Amino acid sequence: MPAGEAFTSSERYDIDRAIRNAETVSRFEFSVFVGASDEETGPFARRLHAALTAPDRSVLVMVDPAARIVEIVTGAEVRRYLDDSEVHLAALTMQSAFAVGDLVGGITRGVLQLADHARRPLMRHAE
Amino acid sequence: MKNINASVVRRYVRVAALSPAVLVPMVAAPAFADVPVQWESGEPVSALYALLLLAGIPLLLFAGITLLVYVPSMVRGEKYVPGLAWRNEIEWFGGPRDGVEAVDRNDHDAIESSDSPDTSDEAVAVTGRGGSRARW
Repeated sequence: MPAGEAFTSSERYDIDRAIRNAETVSRFEFSVFVGASDEETGPFARRLHAALTAPDRSVLVMVDPAARIVEIVTGAEVRRYLDDSEVHLAALTMQSAFAVGDLVGGITRGVLQLADHARRPLMRHAE
Repeated sequence: MKNINASVVRRYVRVAALSPAVLVPMVAAPAFADVPVQWESGEPVSALYALLLLAGIPLLLFAGITLLVYVPSMVRGEKYVPGLAWRNEIEWFGGPRDGVEAVDRNDHDAIESSDSPDTSDEAVAVTGRGGSRARW
């Protein structure tokens, strides 16, 4: 089977829209990588994250369908609002969708869940 | 002496408490009653029919539920089926403009900032990164 496009254009649109919504909600950058990693997924995901424009303010979601692993890396600043247990919840959301073959649904729901948790509280009494 | 009496009494009480549980089923004669005359006598069932009924229907349900789970994503034309190899091209949404090449170029900077690319607490403390992972 030759290598092909991973997503149709409408699927790509869905993922793009989820990322845009997530960025609007949380004011952080989101990036989703889907593909096989050449090495161990953990270090690879962190390298991808480090290559982003503003790693500290970014969330990277790496999905490796071949290895059946989803890795989420959050930058230092994001982590102040989105702790690792919340990230793990989103990872579990994705995991359950991926397990039934719903790659796009898992990505979009997971990204939005991450953004929802990373939402910063409104400053009501700014001085 | 008093202690011995107390323990004997306790043992008798325990036996008395348990005995109804044993005796009641033994005297439950009506439980062995014959099938009422009014009931139709069932026709003998062939082994094949029983097998079809008891194993076939659950298997059909099993297949039906599996189909119901997978059909929505198949209808949407998704290419990912768990368990099959994934040989599609890499997609990076919201990544650097030159894709994975940017990672290689960025590598020596990353090595400077953290010597070992591992998940240990030390590495997290150095960079302040967080994250999680899951397998399916």
